[in-house]
Amino acid sequence: MLIARIVGNAIATHCHSSLSGKKLLLCQQLGDGDAEIGAPFVAIDLFGAGLHERVLVSTDGLGARHLVDDDTSPIRMFVQGIIDEAEEIPA
Amino acid sequence: MRIGQVIGRTVMSVQDPSFKGGRFLLVSPLDASQFSQACSAKMPVTAQSTVVVYDNIGAGEGDVIGFSEGAEATAPFPSPIAIDALCIAIFDRIDYTPFSEKNEFNSPN
Repeated sequence: MLIARIVGNAIATHCHSSLSGKKLLLCQQLGDGDAEIGAPFVAIDLFGAGLHERVLVSTDGLGARHLVDDDTSPIRMFVQGIIDEAEEIPA
Repeated sequence: MRIGQVIGRTVMSVQDPSFKGGRFLLVSPLDASQFSQACSAKMPVTAQSTVVVYDNIGAGEGDVIGFSEGAEATAPFPSPIAIDALCIAIFDRIDYTPFSEKNEFNSPN
């Protein structure tokens, strides 16, 4: 699972059937100290995460297929929860 | 799902029989700096390595697409198929407001 921040959304009318009707949010993966890692990716969201909120993104395809209950869905990343507070304990 | 821009196509006369009828697009994944003008302007190819994406929803050149990688790319197909990147969305619009451009209007916290 990744910690990511919502940095926008994407609109795709032409997409796979299991994606239609789902919110596609742009997420930016966060490293330690909220450092941004890599390019933003798209995850589907069923919990209504707002802009610039930190979320927990899962990359488990089986969970994603279960979430949209469509076994032929090619989705891999989905928002699993909205983070209220994340505390890093220094090693 | 990663996002990239279609920059070309590949044509293969000799290929795995399970690919019959498929199209292979050359996709250049976008960098974070290019997201603000993603669907509006044609962007230069980025330094990230180009991905060859199997496509059966008809993405053309210059389209910004979302492609899924890994085992999930083969999920929609009834028979086993040897691909690891599948085009699953053609984006009409991408709204990108990075955290650095945060102001009191666009974000609650």
